[in-house]
Amino acid sequence: MNKVIHINLGGMPFIIDEDAYEALRDYLAAIHSHFRNSEGYEEITADIEARLAELFRESMGHRQIVTMKDVQEAIRIMGTPEVFEAEGESAAEGDAAPSGKQDAGAQPRWRTGRRLFRDPDDQVLGGVCSGLAAYLGIEDPIWVRLAFVLFTLSGGFGIPLYIILWIIVPEAKTASDRLAMRGEPINVSNIGKIIEEEMSQLSKRVSEFAEELGKEDWGGKKKSGRQRA
Amino acid sequence: MKIENAIAQMRKGVLELCILGIISKGEAYPSDIIRSLKEAKLIVVEGTLYPLLTRLKNAGLLDYTWRESTSGPPRKYYHITPKGREFLNQLLLNWNGLVHAVEESTRHLQQTTSDNE
Repeated sequence: MNKVIHINLGGMPFIIDEDAYEALRDYLAAIHSHFRNSEGYEEITADIEARLAELFRESMGHRQIVTMKDVQEAIRIMGTPEVFEAEGESAAEGDAAPSGKQDAGAQPRWRTGRRLFRDPDDQVLGGVCSGLAAYLGIEDPIWVRLAFVLFTLSGGFGIPLYIILWIIVPEAKTASDRLAMRGEPINVSNIGKIIEEEMSQLSKRVSEFAEELGKEDWGGKKKSGRQRA
Repeated sequence: MKIENAIAQMRKGVLELCILGIISKGEAYPSDIIRSLKEAKLIVVEGTLYPLLTRLKNAGLLDYTWRESTSGPPRKYYHITPKGREFLNQLLLNWNGLVHAVEESTRHLQQTTSDNE
């Protein structure tokens, strides 16, 4: 199951999966920040949005909902700001930062500080410790976990503290949450990286699940993996 | 100096000429323009084209009309203006001069390569 979101893209209404929405939003943010200081900024971005809407319509066919695949395909056709810079715009025009050299200037230039999330990819219980480790910049969450255990054993209130954090700290659900958790800048290439990681994890889970099915053919039950549209 | 950069610069230089050339054949929708440019390996992604079209339009070399589309909102179809045609002719003249210059300055190389074959 997946939550969906209603959007208006280039004057057309779409129903879009939440993860696909996040990816699209981040992509458009990168596009807008790339063209912000270009002549005709509004027209360029409106043209791009209208064309993305059209690409979605084409790749959806009779489906009702825009999925991550549709977004990825549209981004592949439209390209990222890094590619525009390489093949289209001459260095003399358009670009916002005169200080930005080829490589540095190609990245959208906003950066988020780290935010505290629970890390669903690396969890023993609720992912609190690995999220804390990412927040504090500690490479291996084992140290945070050990600290929690020691704290509890030495008579501290480690267990209630963990439970409170579990409740109040949100889980890093989307690609941009995960980037914010690690303190990486949110841009299209990073989002792409996260999505790729997610896809490979998903396929790993599927093959593990398939293996397990093979082993326990006589009715071993396993909780089914997250279902995706 | 990287060969990729040098090639990219050459391609960028002729992009405007090619876009004007394609549109001078008749009204064109951006994705049709893209198809021709992709075949010629001049650009790979569509996003490159939109800022260029806007710039050429703002310079008065192109204009567009809105046309209803069967699948969705109206589309912008671009056509060349008289000013754009004049501009294109000037570019072409210069291009022919450049082709000539390149041929002249590399003739001996081209002869050697064909000798080797």
